[in-house]
Amino acid sequence: MHKKPLSKQIYDARWCYLFVLPCSILTGMFVIYPIGMSWYFSLLDWSGFTKEAKFIGLQNYYEAVNDEFFWDAFIRSFIFMFGTVPVKIVLGFIIAVFLNNQVLKLAPFFRTVIFMPVVTAIAIIGIVMTFVFSPFNGPANKFLMSTNLTSAPIDFLGNPDTVLPTVMGVYVWKWLGITMMYWLAALQTVPQDVYDAAKIDGAEGYRLWVHIILPIVLPFAIVIILVEAVGALNVFPLIETMTAGGPFFSSEVMEIYIFRTAFVTDSGTMPRLGYACAAGVFWGVAVLFITVLQGLWMRRTRRI
Amino acid sequence: MKKKKELKISRRTVMKGALAAGAMMSAGSIPSKLFAGEFNIPDPLKPLPTTGGNMRWIDSGDMKGVFWKKLFPEYAASRGITIEYDGLPWKEINKIVPIAIRNGTVHDVFQLPIGMDPGVAVSEGWVQPWDDYIENIDEWLGAFPSGVYLPGVNQFNGKTYGTCLTANKRTGTCLLYSEKYMSEAGYDPQAGRMTYSEIRDAAKKITKNGNGQYYGWIIGGNQVNRWEDVVHTFGQVGGAHSGRGGFTNRHINFQNGKFQIASDQYMEAVELLLQLKSDGSAFPGVMSMNAPQARALMPQGAAGMIFQGPWCIGVWGRDAPDWKYGIASEPVPDGKEAQPLYIAEGGSNTFWLSANSTMGPFAGDLIRFMGTEQGQIYWAQTVGAADPAVNPDAVAKAGLTGPSAQALSMFAENILVGPNPIVRNKDVGIVAAKSRVPDPSLALVIQGLYTGQLKGVEAQLKDCNQRYEDALDKAVEEARADGANVTRDDWVFPNWDVYSNYGAEKYQEL
Repeated sequence: MHKKPLSKQIYDARWCYLFVLPCSILTGMFVIYPIGMSWYFSLLDWSGFTKEAKFIGLQNYYEAVNDEFFWDAFIRSFIFMFGTVPVKIVLGFIIAVFLNNQVLKLAPFFRTVIFMPVVTAIAIIGIVMTFVFSPFNGPANKFLMSTNLTSAPIDFLGNPDTVLPTVMGVYVWKWLGITMMYWLAALQTVPQDVYDAAKIDGAEGYRLWVHIILPIVLPFAIVIILVEAVGALNVFPLIETMTAGGPFFSSEVMEIYIFRTAFVTDSGTMPRLGYACAAGVFWGVAVLFITVLQGLWMRRTRRI
Repeated sequence: MKKKKELKISRRTVMKGALAAGAMMSAGSIPSKLFAGEFNIPDPLKPLPTTGGNMRWIDSGDMKGVFWKKLFPEYAASRGITIEYDGLPWKEINKIVPIAIRNGTVHDVFQLPIGMDPGVAVSEGWVQPWDDYIENIDEWLGAFPSGVYLPGVNQFNGKTYGTCLTANKRTGTCLLYSEKYMSEAGYDPQAGRMTYSEIRDAAKKITKNGNGQYYGWIIGGNQVNRWEDVVHTFGQVGGAHSGRGGFTNRHINFQNGKFQIASDQYMEAVELLLQLKSDGSAFPGVMSMNAPQARALMPQGAAGMIFQGPWCIGVWGRDAPDWKYGIASEPVPDGKEAQPLYIAEGGSNTFWLSANSTMGPFAGDLIRFMGTEQGQIYWAQTVGAADPAVNPDAVAKAGLTGPSAQALSMFAENILVGPNPIVRNKDVGIVAAKSRVPDPSLALVIQGLYTGQLKGVEAQLKDCNQRYEDALDKAVEEARADGANVTRDDWVFPNWDVYSNYGAEKYQEL
């Protein structure tokens, strides 16, 4: 069969291209262009402010991979992810199972309460939490002291041993509602007749959930884990407002590291946008790699 | 060997200073409306545009903000414009101004981020000179004390790009204390400069008296520059003579051009901070609060002492007028005599006019007024010692009393003008633009030592010192590669007498 020339094919599908055009332009402006420029900037010795920018090849990358603070922040980001995602997934699932029970009349109320932190501005939460966990008159410490759980106030955000777990806890609390909603959506795809059939077959409780419901919602679980994992690697506003990465880098994750080198040098010298871009590109590739792995895992699971 | 001079502030000295200020006030001509919620804003020297407009102004706030918020509405009304003021902490200035410069939306009048070389701002075209907007600028500049306006600092290519209304003769680490707690601990800092042992003992006693309700000492520990400020100034008081300012001045002993970070005096100062912690005298939450938060807890009775700047005076006066506190000089290491502190020539709070600004005539008119004696008196009366007005006659006529007068008297006695490499060689500015404070900076090293994440004060400070040396060497090397005529010898001032001001004649001797 004679194939139409490309120009003719495009002309025939002109309306499709026209409708795609606005989205393509916006994606190009706000996604493709910044990514491309950050790759380019990462090859420069440039503060980001001056006209002078020197091309230095891969030197920024070389410096980054030889910087212990870069790797500390890199690892810390993954500690944050591995410390929060499983908790959110499990807790979110348990809560969703309870709240999916239509017998529970107050389920909408509890759903709203749990979801409320999700719609609260994260910067506000970060600032409020610094007061909540303050060792001086902070409610958390007041509670611990009044119940004799501790004899002296705990500097949750000032102690290098407690700061990251505390921020992780706040993160889980803040975003638990959205995980619960994902699970609720997944659970609501399970048809009622599956429950009914399982009951007739005598599958209840543990067996019902493990052998019937979980296999049905497993593909959702992988998507949820993927979304949650990427989310847990993007925690800049919460950490910046709660600790700014301190004390002494104890809570400095990659985004804070990039921000610090790109814009804010507390020590008062010119920032290094080129270097920060190199760190950002490296980090972006790492996150992409994880995402691809999870995607492959999801595909494999679906096949099963 | 030259005998070291002792710098001591006694109650008597302070009283003399306050009395002198009072006498000058009564002798001098005091404007009829010193501060009654109204300003006598003179007419502009030449007609201003009648098109109006909105002038945006950003600076580091604190008491400056208090003053501007009173003056700006009156000034704006008198000139038919509006003024939008943003007074933000330095940490925010450091974030916002560079981004605004980058995207072309910086305020009409702004302060450069800490450490950013003004020469870069001029050469990059971010700012425009004030000369076209301040009428009779040469005459106006002549009214300022010598050393405030200097080529390479705020003047470039024969034009004035930066305007200073305030002096930099102040420290940010005075001993501020609760009179009640200190008295109960059996100490009176007004009797003479306290030693490290006395500070430690007083902190212990206050903590004991507090019985868990209050503590001996507090610091805004998550604001890392506070650690560096304390150690730097205490080190200077202990005898580590060094400069103040940005990376290319700070911590450098201009007698030999080397960093002083690993000096005994710096180590002693760090040890004092660690001892306050190990004694249990430190407020338990210092690592999770910034400087303003720590300052705010003092009048609430949370701690007995804080090492902070005179800007606390105005804030406490406004927020806790009934709270009794005292101000005294920084403590001195045991068995040592207090040594002078040094500032570089020039003023402080330099204001720059955006190159994109169309509000230059109004900004220039306002700055010109604020540089007159009347404007300076207004400034001194509101801002006090927090950001001392640059005109000493105006300060004297402002009739300051109490802690403000005491602080100014202390600063006058304790602080000298030290050498400034950029005044000697403007190419040092290129080095400043190239320089990067190494990670971890001294501020972070001290914070790390305090939290226990770093071990060994001596080893850490020696490492840090070497990093700073290497960083400055590298910056000099890069500047030279770009054609700058500069060497590390530009940081060596062999004729620096550490007990006298380093003025223009000293530069000529070099």
